[in-house]
Amino acid sequence: MNTDLSSWFDPEPWLAASERVNKGHVKSAIFSGSPGIKEFAALLTPVAADFLEIMAQHAQALTQHHFGKTISLYIPLYLSNYCPGGCAYCGFASDRQQLRRKLAEDELMTEINALKQKGFEDILLLTGERTEEAGFDYLLKCVSLAAGRFHNVTIESFAMTSDEYRQLANAGCTGITLYQETYDPDVYEKLHRWGPKRDYTFRLEAPARALSAGLRIAGLGILLGLADPVRDAVCLFLHIQYLKKRFWQAGILVSFPRICRQFGGYQPEYPVSERLLAQFIFAFRICLPDVPLVLSTREKPEFRDGIAGIGISRMSVASKTTVGGYSGAPASLIGQFDVSDTRDVETFCDVLRNKGLDPVFKNWDSIFQRQEDTMIFES
Amino acid sequence: MMKHKLKLGDYKFESRLIIGTGKFSDVNTMLKAIQSSGTQLVTVALRRFNRERKSDDLYGPLSKLKHVTLMPNTSGARNAKEAVRAALLGRELSGSPFIKLEIHPNPHHLMPDPIETFEAARILVKENFIVMPYMPADPVLAKRLEDIGCASVMPLGSAIGSGHGLRTHEMLTLIIRDSNIPVIVDAGLRSPSEAAAAMEMGCDAVLVNSAIATTNNPEDMAAAFAMAVRAGRSARMAGIMTESDAAVPTSPLTSFLTKE
Repeated sequence: MNTDLSSWFDPEPWLAASERVNKGHVKSAIFSGSPGIKEFAALLTPVAADFLEIMAQHAQALTQHHFGKTISLYIPLYLSNYCPGGCAYCGFASDRQQLRRKLAEDELMTEINALKQKGFEDILLLTGERTEEAGFDYLLKCVSLAAGRFHNVTIESFAMTSDEYRQLANAGCTGITLYQETYDPDVYEKLHRWGPKRDYTFRLEAPARALSAGLRIAGLGILLGLADPVRDAVCLFLHIQYLKKRFWQAGILVSFPRICRQFGGYQPEYPVSERLLAQFIFAFRICLPDVPLVLSTREKPEFRDGIAGIGISRMSVASKTTVGGYSGAPASLIGQFDVSDTRDVETFCDVLRNKGLDPVFKNWDSIFQRQEDTMIFES
Repeated sequence: MMKHKLKLGDYKFESRLIIGTGKFSDVNTMLKAIQSSGTQLVTVALRRFNRERKSDDLYGPLSKLKHVTLMPNTSGARNAKEAVRAALLGRELSGSPFIKLEIHPNPHHLMPDPIETFEAARILVKENFIVMPYMPADPVLAKRLEDIGCASVMPLGSAIGSGHGLRTHEMLTLIIRDSNIPVIVDAGLRSPSEAAAAMEMGCDAVLVNSAIATTNNPEDMAAAFAMAVRAGRSARMAGIMTESDAAVPTSPLTSFLTKE
C-alpha cells in the first residue's frame, strides 16, 4: 500500500459529493451494510440531521452487537502541567499564569492507590508537551509504576519517536491517545502559536509510529470547534482507514472532545452543538461499527447519560483535569479543560445500570502480556 | 431420548448448549439466563476476572453456580503466548481443566488466528488442558487441531456478535463429516432456529452469547435456545428425511422387476 500519509488526506471529493446528498442517499448510507467514506460523508450532512433518530436507533443496535450492554470505564490522571506549547485553547498553554508542577514518585503512588481504591483498572496518563521537567524519561518511569498496578495503561502525551514508543510498549503501555486536533494545516499553525507541537507532520505520523513500534491501541480525535468539523471528521476517517490498512492488528479508538469557551477567553470559531456532536457519533458508529467510541467528562451529565450505549462504548468518569487531585492531596488549581460531569463513580455507575448497561472496569489482564516467559514456550 | 451425552475430555454433559457470559447488562440477568438455559458448561473471559472489585467480577458469581462447569476463555489474547499465559492463570484461579482458546489479533472484527491458535493448542494439550479452540470454519485446521489432541473444535458460524447465522454452512458440513471429536458451533447464531439448524446438521453442541445477552429478555431467550438445541438434536438422531428434487411416486417405476 501507499504509506505516504499525505496522499490519503484529500477530503475534497467526498465533501463535494456530500453537497449533492439527498434523503435517499442518507437512508442508503445508514443501512448500506458496508459503509465507507462516501456513506460517512453523507451522514455528516445537514440532510442527515433530519434522520438523527433513525441514525441513533441503528447506532444503538450496532453498539449492542459489538460491545453488548456494557460500557468500559477508564480514568485520566494528569502527571504534569508543564508545557512549552502555545495552544490557544488549552489551559496548560505556557502563557497561562499558573503554578506548574508534576507528580513526584511518591505522589504518583498516592494517586494510583486512590484510583485503585475506587476500582479503576484502566488508566490514561497525561502530560503537556515535552519539557525538561516532564520529558520522556519521566513519563516512562510513570508508565512503569502504573503498569505495576493497573491492568491497562495508556498515555496521552506529546508525539514521540519510534524508539520512545518501543520503550513505552516494553514498559507495559498498551496504547496512545493523540489527537491531530485539526486536519487543516492552516488552522493548526494558527492555533498552535509556539512550541514543538507546531510540527504538524510529526504529529500526524505519530500514531503510525506508535503502532509500528509495538503499541496496540491508537486513540484518535479532532477537537470539535477548532475548524470546519465536517472536513476534519472526513480527514479523521481517512486517517483511520489508512491506519487500519497499514496495521491489521491495530486497535483504534475515536474520541469526541468538544472545545467550549476556555480560560483566556478562547472562543471556538466553529462551535459544535450537542445535536451535531450526536450526529457525528452516530455517523462514526454506523461507518465504523466495531471501533470503540469514547466520551469524556467534558460533556454534561444529561448528554453522557443519553448517549451511553448509543454509539459510545467507552467513557471516563469522575475525572480531574488538574495534576493529581484524586487522593485528597493538593492538586494544581487550573485544569486542562473544564469538567462538566462531576459525578462520582458510584453515582455514574448507578445511572448506567438503570439504563441496562453494565459498567466494566477491567477488560484486559496485564498478565497476558507479561514479558518473562516460562519454559513452556521452549518445548 | 437423549442416549448419548456430550463428551469433552473425561467430562460428560446432558446439555448441548454452552453459554457465553459477555455483553450482559448485569450479573443477575446473566445468572437467570444461565439457569433457564439448563446449561452445564459456561464460558467466562479471564480478562473479566476481577479480584479487586466485586461488582466488576464475573468469576465470583459464576463459581457459585451448582451443576455448572466453568470454562475460562482467553478472549482478548492476540497471540499464542498471551493465550497460554491466560490459560495457566485461569486454571490457577478457577481450578477448571477446560480452556476455551480464543486468539484474535484484530480487536475489531475478532476473527480467530489459525496459526497462533494451533500453536497455543499444541502447548496447552501438553499442559493437560481440555482444549476447546475457537477457530475459523476450516476443515483442514479442524483435523490438525484434532490430531494434536484438542477435545473439540469450535468453528464459527459467522462473525462473532454478528448474528449472521450459519454462513459457513458448507465448511461446517465438511468439518462435521470428518471429525472424531465434538464439533461445536461458536459465534454468529442469532435465533433458536439457527441453533436447531446447527444441531440438525450434526453439530454436537452450540455456544451462544450475544443472541441471549443483548436481547430484551435474556432469560426467556436462553430457554428458547435450550428447546431449539434439544429439538435439533432429537431430529438429527431420529434421522431427517432426505431432500429430493423429484417427487417419489407411491407406485415405484421398478415394481415390474421381480425379486431374484
